[in-house]
Amino acid sequence: MQHVELRNIEKRFGSTHALRSANLELRRGEIHALLGENGAGKTSLVRVLFGMIQPDAGEILLDGMPAQIESPADALDKGIALVHQHSLLVPAFTVAENLLLGDRDAFFLSPSKRDQRAADWLERYGFYLDPKTRVETLSVAKQQRLMIVRALSRQVNLLILDEPTAVLAPSEVEELMRLLDRLRGEGMSVVFISHKMEEISSLCDRVTLLRGGETVLSQPLADLNVRDLAQALLGTDPPPPLQPPRSTPGELALRLDDLRAPGLQLSLELRRGEILGIAGIDGNGQDVLEEILAGLCVPEKGRLELAAPPVGILPGDRERSGFIAELSLAENLALSHAAEPHNSPLYRSALGMHWLLSQKLERATRAAITRHQIKGSARDLAGDLSGGNQQKLCVARALGSNPQVLVAINPTRGLDLKSTRELRNELRAHAEAGGAVLLISTDLDEVLEISTRVEVLFRGALSPLDSAEPSRERIGALMLGGTGS
Amino acid sequence: MRARSAIAPLMAVLGALLALACMLLLLGHDPWAATLALVDGAFGNRHAVETTLLRTGPLLLIGLAVALSFRAGIWNIGGEGQLYIGALVATTVATKLTSVLPLVLIAGMLGGALWSGLAALLRAHRGVSEVLSTILLNFIAVLLVSYAVQGPLQEVRGTYPQTDALPSAAMLGVIPGFQRVHWGLAGTLVLALFAWRFLFYSAAGLRLRAIGFAPRVAEYARVRISREIYQVFILAGMLAGLAGALEVTGVTGRLFRDLSAGYGFTAIAVAMLARLHPLAVVPAALFFAGLDTGAAAMQRVAAVPAVTVRIVEALVILFSIGFALPRRKA
Repeated sequence: MQHVELRNIEKRFGSTHALRSANLELRRGEIHALLGENGAGKTSLVRVLFGMIQPDAGEILLDGMPAQIESPADALDKGIALVHQHSLLVPAFTVAENLLLGDRDAFFLSPSKRDQRAADWLERYGFYLDPKTRVETLSVAKQQRLMIVRALSRQVNLLILDEPTAVLAPSEVEELMRLLDRLRGEGMSVVFISHKMEEISSLCDRVTLLRGGETVLSQPLADLNVRDLAQALLGTDPPPPLQPPRSTPGELALRLDDLRAPGLQLSLELRRGEILGIAGIDGNGQDVLEEILAGLCVPEKGRLELAAPPVGILPGDRERSGFIAELSLAENLALSHAAEPHNSPLYRSALGMHWLLSQKLERATRAAITRHQIKGSARDLAGDLSGGNQQKLCVARALGSNPQVLVAINPTRGLDLKSTRELRNELRAHAEAGGAVLLISTDLDEVLEISTRVEVLFRGALSPLDSAEPSRERIGALMLGGTGS
Repeated sequence: MRARSAIAPLMAVLGALLALACMLLLLGHDPWAATLALVDGAFGNRHAVETTLLRTGPLLLIGLAVALSFRAGIWNIGGEGQLYIGALVATTVATKLTSVLPLVLIAGMLGGALWSGLAALLRAHRGVSEVLSTILLNFIAVLLVSYAVQGPLQEVRGTYPQTDALPSAAMLGVIPGFQRVHWGLAGTLVLALFAWRFLFYSAAGLRLRAIGFAPRVAEYARVRISREIYQVFILAGMLAGLAGALEVTGVTGRLFRDLSAGYGFTAIAVAMLARLHPLAVVPAALFFAGLDTGAAAMQRVAAVPAVTVRIVEALVILFSIGFALPRRKA
């Protein structure tokens, strides 16, 4: 029996045709993968299903009956819940408060009864967690499970998960898979968005593939293999995996010697010509390390020893730290120069101030656009670019001052296959051109694919791997604090 | 997008005037006659035009100060206080120290900068919100001037609470062809042009906008945020202080208690209506100055209370905020 059917959904945003003719058929009790490159329309389609946007044309059928989904509240009433990629919990509230937030019946309960009710829900889904814990102390994975349980507590029968595994360690991914498998057994329908082919082929029943706002494929996964999927996704044969840079590590570029900061105590050496990959689950000191490398935070002990400052940095949270959405592409590029305009070719000094040379900036921007293959023009607002192009803009900014050391934190999070590959190639090219790259990533596959060397960050400390070809399992164990042997 | 940004302020003005017309109708006045009286009172004759232009000056200068501050995400609403301290310091220098005009004007700018600098210090070292500190500093500034003109700086005759007249060497000249409009207004227009170039075509201007939009991104770009904040405060204080100095050296010739007709507050409306664009501040300042000047005539001719103009000013702010924001997506 069809649970939900979206037929010929069309949606325009201004001049962008986000959805042209998107179809989705979801059967009751199946896990359905929704695939597509960034900008293919996955997010828009999911938003239509969750009532966040109204389609311009097309039909929605619920249990075979035409229906309208007016708003997220309406979607919840109809049994549809969306679990976002980012945490939508109140950090200062407890687990119970978050879980029952918006539950009208729970509003007048005493705290102890509320905690009891929350504990019941958690237990029902095998999630043993003290309801009195404050959410901000939970790991990303636990917050995500809490959001899932919160959705389930609303009596939904269709769960939409937007890239749930992007922030999880391998063992946590397995745990999530087990939970989803169990829910499927109980009759829950799941829409699962992911870029990772292995997860999809091991978990999902059927797949719908979007390209350019249109459904190009919709069929059982059993009939497909990973290669077919990747091919359908890209429209061409999938390229072979990338390799670490071919250059051999040279002289020292960056050294941290017994560096100490809150939640951090580590030493590391980064050499020219190499990519040093730092694997680790979110919340193990990456934030503090990023701030120290960016020069925003002074360590308690030890310091940043650089052969040639400054450091180019691709911030982990690119929307908050990487670029300014309200400024044009050119202005975003000029910003790195504006901090130290006296030795920038883009500014000339007069009247005791530094004045922009607009034509030089225009030329420099066009050069950066060409070099980093950014789709957009110098005057476009950065906020109007796609995620992949925004990250390329960040790369252009980070490399704008010709730094020797490039630090990239989760550089491909949220990017599609094509942009991911282009970005990883940029990092490789930087190392091969004699630069040094520090890749701090929670995506283990990424670290393994292009790193010359790998170290694992756990609770603020690094464990180097001695063997040249470390196994996935061994690194996975280290990421969770095991000995790795 | 670009066109829309010019239309929104016009819509705000039109909306506010329409609302005024409705209100006047309800109160039993003839809106058309009242509006004509208002426009005539603001621009109808030479005297009216010059009065409007003289009021435009301080609104324009402080409007620029507000625009720069707000662009940097600094809610400096202390223009009124900075104007008064600027006037106080300029008057002190002119009557006690030197009558060299440029020095008097610079003294006024330093006075304003001192006053806004206090707010900057409080924010940087004690985390005091500038909204709070600048409002409170406004009171202190007004009271300080009040004390000065009744105490240490009171005129030698000792009759009125005002200072002696400034020496004529310290007074600004009148632009040829005008009776009262002084050269300070021309300088103010040049400053508006300069502020525009500064904001959009200088390194400091880009840093200023960056910390306003996204301080975190600016930090990553190695912009030293606390330094920028000081600079913006100082710059805004200098502009407002200059407005005060120009009032005494160009218009009144001496300092007294009610020197400012609330310029520091109206300037916030000016900057909002101009959507924080330095060039748009010029017509916005002219508009508000015209409203102020025309209000008295409207009261005289059409018997409409001048305070209704205050309502229009408030409505313009509300409408410009309403039109400036993008429509919420469903």
